[in-house]
Amino acid sequence: MSKKSLAILILILGIGLIMTGCPKKVVKTEEPTVKLSEQKAKTDAERAKEAKEREAARIKEQEAAEKEKFEKSLTTKKEPGIQGQVSESSLIKDVHFDFDKYDIRPADAEILKANAAVLTKNPNVKIQIEGHCDERGTIEYNLALGERRASSAKAYLVSIGIPASRISTISYGKERPLDPAHNEEAWAKNRRAHTIIVAK
Amino acid sequence: MKMAKKIFLTVVFLIFIFGSSAGARVYLDVNQPTLIQIPIVLAKWKNVDKTPAALSEKGYEILANDLTLSGFFRIVDYHHLPPPLQGKTGIPEMLVLNEWTPAGGEILLAGEILLDPAGLNLKLRFHLFDLIEQKHLVGKEYEAPVQSLRTMVHRMADEVVLQLTGEKGVNNTKIAYVSRQTGNKEVFLSDFDGSNIRQITRNQSINLSPAWSPDGRKIAFTSYLRRNPDLYLVDADGKNSRRFLDSPGLNAAPSWSPDGKRIALMMSRDGKSEIFVVDNNGGNPKKITRGHGNEASPTWSPDGRQIAFVSDRSGSPQVYIMSDEGTDIRRLTYEGSYNTNPSWSPKDDRITYCARVGGRFNICTIGTDGSGLQRLTSGSGDNENPSWSPDGRYIAFSSTRAGASKIFIMHANGLNPRPLTQSKGGESSPAWSRRFE
Repeated sequence: MSKKSLAILILILGIGLIMTGCPKKVVKTEEPTVKLSEQKAKTDAERAKEAKEREAARIKEQEAAEKEKFEKSLTTKKEPGIQGQVSESSLIKDVHFDFDKYDIRPADAEILKANAAVLTKNPNVKIQIEGHCDERGTIEYNLALGERRASSAKAYLVSIGIPASRISTISYGKERPLDPAHNEEAWAKNRRAHTIIVAK
Repeated sequence: MKMAKKIFLTVVFLIFIFGSSAGARVYLDVNQPTLIQIPIVLAKWKNVDKTPAALSEKGYEILANDLTLSGFFRIVDYHHLPPPLQGKTGIPEMLVLNEWTPAGGEILLAGEILLDPAGLNLKLRFHLFDLIEQKHLVGKEYEAPVQSLRTMVHRMADEVVLQLTGEKGVNNTKIAYVSRQTGNKEVFLSDFDGSNIRQITRNQSINLSPAWSPDGRKIAFTSYLRRNPDLYLVDADGKNSRRFLDSPGLNAAPSWSPDGKRIALMMSRDGKSEIFVVDNNGGNPKKITRGHGNEASPTWSPDGRQIAFVSDRSGSPQVYIMSDEGTDIRRLTYEGSYNTNPSWSPKDDRITYCARVGGRFNICTIGTDGSGLQRLTSGSGDNENPSWSPDGRYIAFSSTRAGASKIFIMHANGLNPRPLTQSKGGESSPAWSRRFE
């Protein structure tokens, strides 16, 4: 074998080596790459899952917090002579009405929106809206008026997304004044739609 | 109820001893706008045989009170007679009737009472004389168990009212009403004279708007016992209370049709009060008002064909009349901006209602054709919930004239108002029964 032919052989071998070596190298380098991306995909899913779990936990925590906050806002309402265990929430506020009127005033619409937000955060809560009147006027006409006041408040809550199935109404007419005094101030307080919690 | 039945069975017929007819003369026209009271002398009652004086004193007292409460009489009590007449008892002979002239009355009522030897039964006899014309008017006798003294005397008083005014009195009627005396609104009953007060409901709830069935056996009322204003029925003795209508929302302000077959009431199935009519078994509910207003306080016409009610369809509560099918609606009241609580006279074409005048509530009456508006109360607190007596001569209502709201009774022309009971107040929603015969 001449030096020339040896050199060619080496070259060929070298090329072959390179040619065979290179793919080898590629394969070698590619294999870990695939594994890495698989690993990456796996961790992404895990991460998402974890995040989801974390989020769920957070929501759960938040819900629990909301629920706790709501629970803490509750006081049991005691009414001998009227059956059923019900409570009142300090987070849900009364709305008020003008004399012989049942329309929701703009400022009271804001109160109802805030009440609706509490209800949205506590989706298992069912409420009863009580319509009340001041002492003036007759017992029976005030029953009709109180009914309409409760219905107005309910209709507003339904219009902003609270399911009607979560809201019942009752009229107490002038039978349950908040303030027993006989003056304008008391009357204004007594013309109200009050909310009680009937299920949670 | 049982008691009433017993009395019903044992009270005996009437005897006309003198045989003279009372004639058609009506001594008092009670439809006059002003009332002149007939001066009536009540002679001391005679105790026949060994009848205890306490019985005749008691009976005398009940009678004097009944006649006073009727508003038609000025009582001349035997204590206030000239001395020779003070102790005079028994039924006078026609021949000596003139000796009663100095008594100062137009009419003389003489009575006697007999307790049978066994002490079980009472006989009560009375005679009426016209002292001006010196003639006998009527004589009657009653017999009943001794414990029915009050009922017997009421019947006697009813007869005196019939003889002198042309229509029987209402002394054997009861008034159902709501009282807060226990701290809760419970239904109570009282006799016309304020006696026999009885608590009918004891549920510590809110009980409203009692209404007598026309036969006087049942009372319908609304109670919040189950956290909804449901309609209940209770027997007049307070027994057998049962839930009758419990549609979600109002089941309130019941009014029985005069034949007792139907009940009109307020119901609010769609979030707004409407007038409904249901059968007296609770079946077949029919909504008879339609529209945007709040409808309240139905009351039947005496012929059962029309219903007066309150509606604020015009923007303020006013009294309307419609047929019992809800057709032919017409507005009755136009004066003032708050007219509620109508009650249809059982006797004629008048409706009493509650009107707000100058910020105060007063009782008015108006013809069903819209004519002849009269205001019966004024300057005496708030006056609400008017209810007619079965003879259409009186109106019971609640009033704050003496402080806390109390039931008062006045003549249908607004005269002679007097409190029904001696309670401290907290009373509302009187409902007058029929006569218990």
